[in-house]
Amino acid sequence: MRIINQFPTRRSRLILGVVPFAAIAVIYALASRIRLEANPADRLLPAFSSMFDTFVRLATEPDRRSGDIVLWTDTLASLSRLGLGLGIAAAIALVLGIMIGFVPKFRATLAPLVGAMSLIPPLAILPILFIVFGLDELSKVALIVIGITPVMTRDLASRVADIPEEQIVKAQTLGASSWAMTLRVVLPQTLPRLVASLRLALGPAWLFLIAAEAIAATDGLGYRIFLVRRYLAMDVILPYVAWITLLAWLSDLALREFAARAFPWSKSGGGL
Amino acid sequence: MSTVDVQNIALSIGGVPILERVNLSVTSGEFCAIVGASGCGKSTFLRMLLSQQRPSSGAILIDGETVAPEPTPDRGIVFQKYSVFPHLTVAGNLVLPADFASGSPLARLFGARRRNARAAAMAMLEKIGLGPHADKYPAQLSGGQQQRLAIAQALSMKPKILLLDEPFGALDPGIRADMHELLSGLWKETRMTVFMVTHDIGEAFKLGTRVLVFDKIRPDGGKAGPAGATITYDLKLDREQRRARALAGAALVAAAPARTANDA
Amino acid sequence: MAKLSSWTRRMVIGAAGAALALGVAAGGTLPAAAQSKTDFKVCWSIYVGWMPWGYIADSGLMKKWADKYGITVDIVQINDYVESINQYTAGTYDGCSMTNMDALSIPAGGGVDTTALIVGDFSNGNDAVILKDKTALADIAGQSVNLVELSVSHYLLARALDSVGLAEKDITVVNTSDADMIAAYSTSDVSAVVTWNPLVSAILEQPGATKVFDSSAIPGEIIDAMMVNTETLAANPDFGKALAGAWYEAMTIMSADDEAGRAARTAMATASGTDLAGFDAQLASTKMYYDPAEAVAFVGGEDIVKSMDYVRNFLFDHGILGEGAPSADFVGIAFPGEKILGDANNVKLRFDPAFMAEAAAGTL
Repeated sequence: MRIINQFPTRRSRLILGVVPFAAIAVIYALASRIRLEANPADRLLPAFSSMFDTFVRLATEPDRRSGDIVLWTDTLASLSRLGLGLGIAAAIALVLGIMIGFVPKFRATLAPLVGAMSLIPPLAILPILFIVFGLDELSKVALIVIGITPVMTRDLASRVADIPEEQIVKAQTLGASSWAMTLRVVLPQTLPRLVASLRLALGPAWLFLIAAEAIAATDGLGYRIFLVRRYLAMDVILPYVAWITLLAWLSDLALREFAARAFPWSKSGGGL
Repeated sequence: MSTVDVQNIALSIGGVPILERVNLSVTSGEFCAIVGASGCGKSTFLRMLLSQQRPSSGAILIDGETVAPEPTPDRGIVFQKYSVFPHLTVAGNLVLPADFASGSPLARLFGARRRNARAAAMAMLEKIGLGPHADKYPAQLSGGQQQRLAIAQALSMKPKILLLDEPFGALDPGIRADMHELLSGLWKETRMTVFMVTHDIGEAFKLGTRVLVFDKIRPDGGKAGPAGATITYDLKLDREQRRARALAGAALVAAAPARTANDA
Repeated sequence: MAKLSSWTRRMVIGAAGAALALGVAAGGTLPAAAQSKTDFKVCWSIYVGWMPWGYIADSGLMKKWADKYGITVDIVQINDYVESINQYTAGTYDGCSMTNMDALSIPAGGGVDTTALIVGDFSNGNDAVILKDKTALADIAGQSVNLVELSVSHYLLARALDSVGLAEKDITVVNTSDADMIAAYSTSDVSAVVTWNPLVSAILEQPGATKVFDSSAIPGEIIDAMMVNTETLAANPDFGKALAGAWYEAMTIMSADDEAGRAARTAMATASGTDLAGFDAQLASTKMYYDPAEAVAFVGGEDIVKSMDYVRNFLFDHGILGEGAPSADFVGIAFPGEKILGDANNVKLRFDPAFMAEAAAGTL
């Protein structure tokens, strides 16, 4: 039988899904053990147990220097930057996306600009961002916003342009003004795509957040990772990476659940 | 309720003629069924009646006045698909025109006015048999139910003319018969002028008081390059004719050679 | 597993086998094993006191000295300083140029026994605390200070604060990448920075910048050295001899005020992105040990013990002296003459003047 027609059973699917994770864990555990036998103080590949201990320490004990429990301070700082950045980016992308997708004159004016902006690598213009936005929270949020807004805008504009012309014509025959159509026809049909777009932007947003925190910060998950990298504390870095992965996965899940509840009429709301 | 005058309109796109020499005078309350081969420009003609497409030359008048250059509430439309708003419930779709008319900056009615609009919508839904489905989304309805809703929505603005673009083309034959009944009933009740594009000849003769056939012809026998389509048959039916021809219509039109159309 | 399809079974078995093989392979990049070998790799990064390494590689001095001992030494420049230390600590390189403080916190704290083979210089003004629109060190109280956290800048700041009776809690440290320090200084948010040359000179050129403290106030505390793996050195003394021989020949050339000396310094200046005058200015704030005898004396003296005591306490206070280090004594530091700071059973950083002494005696 052709391979595309062979379907694993439920149990096989579970096992096959777990195999790569288990293999990575085994590779890590072995390599770590070999290194630790040669040098018990090795920092490159700490044992799972010492990573766990470090994580528990970071999550429960106040830091010797600042007195804060660093995991929670860092998480709170990073999540608030991320949330603010995603929120602002979503608002800008929604307004611009609808303008570009719905109003031909705005499209002619703005589409080339947004297209060009989306091609600029934001990390390459960091010094300009510093001078414009300073080094505080603002510049970190700005980096996220600048990093993800153009792509989200283009995505939303194309979704708006994809709304069947029949609906727009129909709305006009029902007496709608441009503003009323924007509010009652275009906006609600764009919102599920906005959520989907946000889910796709989560990855880049984390990337820009961590880059921003690496440059100048006093707290944050990215700050901690780059700080302890100075003394190769992989026992801090690896659990932090796992923690970030978990947070990213949870935020994706939350957005998906939100879309399924908020837009029951939309296929793309619940799917993916 | 309204007369429609189409004065020698033509349309060409990128130098290719689509429609030409289309002249038509429709009196108030007529039900014009438009038929023709696919690609003959019948849907394009409907789009021009709606101002979704502007003619290259000629004019369209409703009650003696040139139509607005964009779609307006004096012309209602039902498309084959995408005719209702997927993000609104069935009732929400029918309240929407009232929301638009409210003039509120949020394009939405509130309070007592909203309750009144909803009550009117519910009455309409009961009439078209969608009462139990008021809080469903269109995607949860059958194709026939969606088109009932689309027609009810278009009529809610009490347009001068109603335009239908193959409204039942995607429906099963049984459902289609039900829809014919609904549409005839509504037309008799409102007596509005109707234009319906269809590719179903039987449907055209069953519902129409007048059948317009679009086709491409050339007075000179097609020697001078590509031709645009025009109205080649304009059949005004009385009641008996309609009944008889509903049965024989398909055969009649199919057998009629296009070349003799000039004589008609 | 009998009920599983053959595909699933093969996947599980295959993955297990591959994981074992890969695990062993990944664990295999260990710090250079303690056995004699002939091919060595050392790394360095851009800093005034380490520029000679680039010159040694390019001018053929390294090849000349390695040939003499029948070995090869590959000198690799790494753009990111911390990364170069991490690579050394992970075992990719046999030696790496770094400061005394980073040698203690990264390789030594990470259990990699490390020897300061060549103590090349100490910072004598190259690291500085700079205030914007303020002129006295005491004005730093209450300000945000931008610096590379946990670096020698941080250490310098701690010593500076000490000198005016302030503590780290009186200020806010903002971790700022050295690559962005100059851009950071030009924003209005930043009013105080601690950094090193050539960044110090660039920042001091900007309006309102005043140097309020620099490393010349704590001479001999920020030491730049070629650190090598102790076990590798013990098994391959020729490796140490070749490096020391090449280094001190380069010192002789560059310290001379003649055509060859200027040419050597110009080459180093170009490689570090400045000109001869700029490079000479940086050298002026660096105490170079051109003469190996001076370095031997410095390493054998009392001051270096005191400096390392400051450094290890700083590292311990900031929680970076090894996982779960119970006190500053956790990692032992050995000096010439059996002097040991901290745990004698866990000596991981050694100041060993033997190879510099050979260079001084001309027996290489």
